[in-house]
Amino acid sequence: MDDLTLPKNKLDMFLNKIKSDYTVYAPVKVDDLVYFKKIEKLKDITLDFYNSKVPPKSIIFKQTETMFKFKQGLDAEIQTLDDKNKKNVIFGIRPCDAKSMSILDNVFEDDFTDPYYVNKRKNTVLVGVSCKQPTINCFCTSMDGGPADSKHLDVLISDIGNRYYVEIKNNKGKSLIDGTRNLFEKVTNNDKKKRLQLEKKSKDEISRNMKTEGISEKLDEIFDDDIWKSISLRCLGCGICTYECPTCHCFDIQDETTLSDGARIRVWDTCMNPEYTVHASGHNPRPARMNRTRNRVYHKFNYFPKNYNLIACVGCGRCINDCPVNIDIIEIINKAREVKT
Amino acid sequence: MVNQKKLREEVNTLISRNDVKYIIGWEKGSYGFKMKPFFITSSEDVDRLVFNPLCIHNLTVYPMLEEKLPLRKDATEDKSKIGVIVKGCDSRAIVQIIQEKGLNREDIVIIGIPCSGVIDPKKIERLFPLKSETPDIDEDEKNFIIIIKDKIQKIPKQDILMDKCKTCEFPNPLIYDTFIGKEIETVKNADYKEIESFEKKKLSDKWEYWENQFDKCIRCYACRNVCPLCYCKECMVDQLNPQWVRRSVNISENAAWNIMRAFHLAGRCIGCGECERVCPADIPLTKLNKKLEKDVYEMFDYKPGTNIEEKPLLSMFKPDDPEEFVL
Repeated sequence: MDDLTLPKNKLDMFLNKIKSDYTVYAPVKVDDLVYFKKIEKLKDITLDFYNSKVPPKSIIFKQTETMFKFKQGLDAEIQTLDDKNKKNVIFGIRPCDAKSMSILDNVFEDDFTDPYYVNKRKNTVLVGVSCKQPTINCFCTSMDGGPADSKHLDVLISDIGNRYYVEIKNNKGKSLIDGTRNLFEKVTNNDKKKRLQLEKKSKDEISRNMKTEGISEKLDEIFDDDIWKSISLRCLGCGICTYECPTCHCFDIQDETTLSDGARIRVWDTCMNPEYTVHASGHNPRPARMNRTRNRVYHKFNYFPKNYNLIACVGCGRCINDCPVNIDIIEIINKAREVKT
Repeated sequence: MVNQKKLREEVNTLISRNDVKYIIGWEKGSYGFKMKPFFITSSEDVDRLVFNPLCIHNLTVYPMLEEKLPLRKDATEDKSKIGVIVKGCDSRAIVQIIQEKGLNREDIVIIGIPCSGVIDPKKIERLFPLKSETPDIDEDEKNFIIIIKDKIQKIPKQDILMDKCKTCEFPNPLIYDTFIGKEIETVKNADYKEIESFEKKKLSDKWEYWENQFDKCIRCYACRNVCPLCYCKECMVDQLNPQWVRRSVNISENAAWNIMRAFHLAGRCIGCGECERVCPADIPLTKLNKKLEKDVYEMFDYKPGTNIEEKPLLSMFKPDDPEEFVL
């Protein structure tokens, strides 16, 4: 489909229209931080942000997902929750976070199709907004992405001054725009030029760089190297890096009950937690922080490439920004490549 | 500022001893205004050691994180000492832990350095949001001097100091084997103005405030893991049988976790503020801890981690202890 433009003053009209058909999630400022939240009032939306604190994967792969509820005792019964047909739009998602969804699809649509993830994913339209200003630790360009990469989006919107440049990537995106087609205008050559300039400017501002060529094979050779010990010495073992990661997808399942009723829930889990691998016998195959720090790196840069031919990192930089002790995945990978074998 | 050369010399002497396995200090981080904890294991490492006002971490957490894994059949336990560099506030954690018998004094070697305040990473990153080069930092009495690519900028200390440093009562370490530098004169008394004004708010307003804060919690437990005083073998939040706090991430469970942690630190928190610094959701945890610190101080005239001879607050009794709160 041809690209379009949307005058800035018509964005609200567009969002209002889609709000009547879809549940809209968009970036909202909470004090100094930005989160993707369900939008009640359009004025809550902010587009002046680097990226959200928690990745928008949390809308599709929720931190706490109620799988079903149940009653216990004589009148025991199971109530499944039906949100199969709820239509969502994630507006303002960054290209890197959109890519993470494509990565997660591999896991949740593998030999077992996960209904909780897949239904929401199917019914969610991703409307991305290009990055005007990358952060210090953005490195999406090293991960086959970019600040205006539309590959994993249904619609990409770029701010080109007084209007938005709108790219519609597929039928999902098209059906979102269809009802409000009259708000949009044709693109001019000048618009196209501005759109490319924006992308180039953002790309040029990305200063950090991870070299990933051959990394999976290299990691095979250095599993027992001392590098993992030296990196993990300062690791505190908290879950920031994994909970903020748009591609981390491990979860734990628990029944939370009272005497009469309860719910089966699943919550994000983190391989940084010793409990993550503890066996019922008490034995822990990853007993030390070294084993756990290494696992995070290997899962993304070795196991995932082996299983799906993809690196499970999109270069959003969140884990680097927020690590309390400056454990830096770019530094780790670049160093790992230099280890002599 | 501390004489870096002297600090390195001292660390070099220490690490050359064969009863010290490593010394924890700081080195330059990988980008911007980051320094990182640094484990010095040999003389070769010493040149990378730094100390400047960006060295915020309370390194006394590391002896508590030391892993004691099962030994192989013919192996013997490594009983050599851990060296740690401490600022004033950090040193109180060691005093408190030794009081609680969480550490043996003879198992650690402490290098104390006086500290006139550290820079709040959130504040400085707001001033220089996109600087990826690592700057050089110096200070005079009133300003921090930041040198990026030979460009010198003076920033008034009051603008970027950590809030805890503005009311610091203990700039000099209270426990050490070696002290490097010159003692800083202390004039400040405990300052609870902010807590007092918060206390005056309506109960419903206070609850609403905390609900909004706890709502952001993602339960990464960075607050717990960075805290030198959170060293329970098994944290009650990890226990499954019985399960005290559910794994669901919602306001109820998040509040239970954060309030429980604050109470567990009553009379123990030494106010290093690391929990608040590391919190990815910017939850003002110091406010909770400081409220309890104030109550403990006013009721029992007790400041945690200041007197190694004393017993921990909750394991001693004085006949004149107030008991208005006992039903």
